[in-house]
Amino acid sequence: MLQFLASGIAIGCVYGMIGMALAITFYVTRIINFAQGQLMMVTVMVTAELVGQGYSPWVGVAAGLAASAVVGVLSYLIAVRPILAFNRFGFGWLVSTLGFAAIVENAAAYFWGPTSIPFPTILNSTSVHFGDAAVLTGQQILAIVVALLAGVAFELVRRHTLFGKIGMATAADPEMASAFGINTKTVAMVAFAASALLAGLAGVMIGPSTFANPYLGDTFGTYGFIAMMIGGGTERPITALYGGILLGISAEGANAFVNSRASDWFPFLVLALILVVSPRGLFSSTGPLARLRPVRAGR
Amino acid sequence: MSTTVPHALDISGLSAGYGRFDVIRDIALKVGTGEAVGLLGPNGAGKTTVLRSIMGLIRQRRGSIQVAGTDVVAMPPFRIARGLAALAPEGRRLFVDQTVEDNLILGGLHLRHDTARHEALLASVYELFPVLKGYRKRLSSYLSGGEQQMVAIGRMLMSDPEIMLLDEPSVALSPVAVDIVVKALIELRRRGASLLLVEQRIDVAIRVCDRLYVMTHGEIVDEMTPEAARGAGMSLIDKYLG
Repeated sequence: MLQFLASGIAIGCVYGMIGMALAITFYVTRIINFAQGQLMMVTVMVTAELVGQGYSPWVGVAAGLAASAVVGVLSYLIAVRPILAFNRFGFGWLVSTLGFAAIVENAAAYFWGPTSIPFPTILNSTSVHFGDAAVLTGQQILAIVVALLAGVAFELVRRHTLFGKIGMATAADPEMASAFGINTKTVAMVAFAASALLAGLAGVMIGPSTFANPYLGDTFGTYGFIAMMIGGGTERPITALYGGILLGISAEGANAFVNSRASDWFPFLVLALILVVSPRGLFSSTGPLARLRPVRAGR
Repeated sequence: MSTTVPHALDISGLSAGYGRFDVIRDIALKVGTGEAVGLLGPNGAGKTTVLRSIMGLIRQRRGSIQVAGTDVVAMPPFRIARGLAALAPEGRRLFVDQTVEDNLILGGLHLRHDTARHEALLASVYELFPVLKGYRKRLSSYLSGGEQQMVAIGRMLMSDPEIMLLDEPSVALSPVAVDIVVKALIELRRRGASLLLVEQRIDVAIRVCDRLYVMTHGEIVDEMTPEAARGAGMSLIDKYLG
């Protein structure tokens, strides 16, 4: 019983980080970057490649994260900015970000081949026992700690730094933000870079379990999207993390109590049910768990 | 040899609009340094479009817009906002999930490294609107309409601009709040600020402004003194403002 809860929280934190990454770009630009999963994959592939060439895992991780950030900014400049400049209220970005995802994925498959390559184990070879009830690998515990730190750091930056307030102003009214001296293009590029870093971190957390594969982004991008939607990340990015944890627990629960492949379809059922009950997400301002959201500043 | 002091705002031959249509055509308008100028007209005359063009919020614009001698017609809004022009928009458009003081700080972003000037500007806003000092930490969405208008004007002041643009600051306010806003604008004039005030209420424009332009159908059709406007009274309303 406790095992599926613990495992669910750990994998849910990974989904939640990708969901938060999606939500951060949505928060600032009001678009969903469907290449988010592929940004995670870039970190995983670059890290695996460099470690395979003999560099230390930390050098590989740093280079992988930097590569994701660069590709994240490129996704904005190539697939988002021109579309929004043409029509800020249109939905052309749906196609352009999906197209960008396909290009990145196929470029990776061309370069590295379609099969998986080893990813450094980092903390996957250690494990922690919680009595007889559950056991988590060091990597799973690291995923939980990193996700929580990322969530707290994001909220601290958003609420207590000038850059966070600039981001909030850009999110609330980009036209007025630019009319008060904010370069909204720069803010958007920073948001895309930060979200790519967060997705890349999620990749580093899950890489030892999945290995490095060019098609990794499809699955995790989809689960990240579900995490954002059930949490209410379109309103507050941090709630995507909560959504991810719920998603992880339900998926692991399905594996434990239905059958070992149930996590392939069960999350979609959970998403559908939750969106029927609360279309904007469980932790949205109108959701049933709204009271569990962080308190707004200044009340 | 005499040196010419540039106008705070000097617009000539300005046409601007959306898509294939020009909403305003061949606008010529000047605001002297330390002068308050009103722009009157009925709904749909193009008054707001003039202000949005000055701020760079309408990309499709032609002609010349000089702010304190700097041509801004090709500048992006965020550059214009850095000390050249500032806008208190219609409907206030505050950053409602941020506090009063955060709204004010965001108004003066380009001065944030000049701490002394930034602090002095903040103090001058609280001096102009003392009530805001008590609400510094309150979310701006929790303020009344009049208080929100004070924040909008204060946010504009924080960028210490060459020209202040106000879009119908009296709209949807109680008579008491209108009076507070009008007195604040008169005080800004006394401090030497240059104002371009868009209004539908002639009485407000007459109290604040040195000169008035009248716009209809996207063009400036008349220019007059406040005294002439006061003398014209209802006939001005019938003729232009309907």
